[in-house]
Amino acid sequence: MGKAYVITSGKGGVGKTTSSANIGTALAMLGKKVCLLDLDIGLRNLDVVLGLDNRIMYDIVDVATGRAKLAQALVKDKRFDDLLYLLPAAQNTDKSALNQEQVKEIVDELKPDFDYILIDCPAGIEQGFMNAIAGADSAIIVTTPEISAVRDADRVVGLLEQHPLQEQPRLIINRIRQHMMKDGSVMDVDEITHHLGVELLGIVLDDDAVITTSNQGEPVVLQPENPAGQGYRDIARRLEGESVPLMELKDEVKPTFWQKVTHWFKKS
Amino acid sequence: MPDAAVLKGTKDGYEIVVDENANVADVFASLRKLLNSLKTQTASTHPQTISFDVYTGMRLWSANDRSKIEKLFADYSDFSVHKITSDVITKEQSNQMLEQLSVHVVDKIIRNGQEERIQGDVLFLGKVHEGGKLLVSGNIYVLGDVKGIIQAGTPDFEDKMIIGDVHNAQQVRIGEQFEILDDTKREMNSGTVIYVNDLHVLDYGNVEDLKQINPKFFNQIGGVING
Repeated sequence: MGKAYVITSGKGGVGKTTSSANIGTALAMLGKKVCLLDLDIGLRNLDVVLGLDNRIMYDIVDVATGRAKLAQALVKDKRFDDLLYLLPAAQNTDKSALNQEQVKEIVDELKPDFDYILIDCPAGIEQGFMNAIAGADSAIIVTTPEISAVRDADRVVGLLEQHPLQEQPRLIINRIRQHMMKDGSVMDVDEITHHLGVELLGIVLDDDAVITTSNQGEPVVLQPENPAGQGYRDIARRLEGESVPLMELKDEVKPTFWQKVTHWFKKS
Repeated sequence: MPDAAVLKGTKDGYEIVVDENANVADVFASLRKLLNSLKTQTASTHPQTISFDVYTGMRLWSANDRSKIEKLFADYSDFSVHKITSDVITKEQSNQMLEQLSVHVVDKIIRNGQEERIQGDVLFLGKVHEGGKLLVSGNIYVLGDVKGIIQAGTPDFEDKMIIGDVHNAQQVRIGEQFEILDDTKREMNSGTVIYVNDLHVLDYGNVEDLKQINPKFFNQIGGVING
């Protein structure tokens, strides 16, 4: 029997969808059976990040309204042999097309067949958010070190206290720029964790490759050397119950004079 | 006064011609009289039920009245109505027919999340963005740029075609058949014809071979290609 996690943040653009795709992929790489559920109805993106957008035949609203069976709507990721599936959001309607009972019913139907069900929550705290938490057993809150994102995360933690799930929420701090955190221009990991009073699940460094890989429809966790990918792989292992030490923040190595000169020659 | 309902024999079977000028009440009375007399005549000779076509000429019967006719027939176990025909149709029906038969020129951008549904054939000059859908009941001639989903023969007409270069599309669909182009990496050009073959599988051809691919369509357009 699988467990359902909702990935939420309150604020938009902090990396809910990217985190969903990457954690899902990382869990599939560990051999777990994962179903990703996109609940951002009307503005779906998870399919694009996974590179599955051209394979969609039916969506979650089709399933909820009985136009399609659940098995028909699930899109299989061919890169992972039978381990990673996506239930896409509908694109031609809005959040009000679903209600909490329907989402819960779908999640309950998925649970026996999967180890993990990751629910990608839309931004905001309206009906889309309520739908997303309705089926979940636990929440993963994504924030960035920006004050505005932390404020919104705080609001979401408060809402989750009002509608408690089976397990306490856990926190991912995303898009960390090491030098800014080092020189104190943004809140650091301990400050954010302490402020929100939520257990830390992991940190993910900001990296250009996150954007380039997402544009190509291949999650960054598939790159073995990438630090952001490493962050997501660590998170997946922690979800599996392993204790993995938190990644250390390093000072970014500044290029030496000679490196700059050779770089300059390479350019021309 | 002549009877408002008269029995006629045609090569397809029995037809009851209903006088278009008669009063509706008279028609029902006359029909009942006719069926009563037929019942007595055919009781011994015809073991199975006889089905009639009812022809109403230049009068269009409302759905309500037509169901009354069918109800009247239901009183007779040996008789049934095959169909009720007339020489006239409603404006709505005629508009629908016109729509089905005409070629619509569509020049717009169908964006992510939008669905454009059109009855009849379409000459498409616009763009379909990723996540947009162009769903057409007839054929589609594509001169524009399709990066979303394009479907001819919506919902299940497999005799329709997509003509043109749609190699950028996410999916092509004809009737209930579909193909995810990312899997097949098809080569296409402006003369590509996508159709459903005899094995009910999506197939690709060229406009030069249209005569072999879809003879019916070819006759409809007059067979002007290659003389």
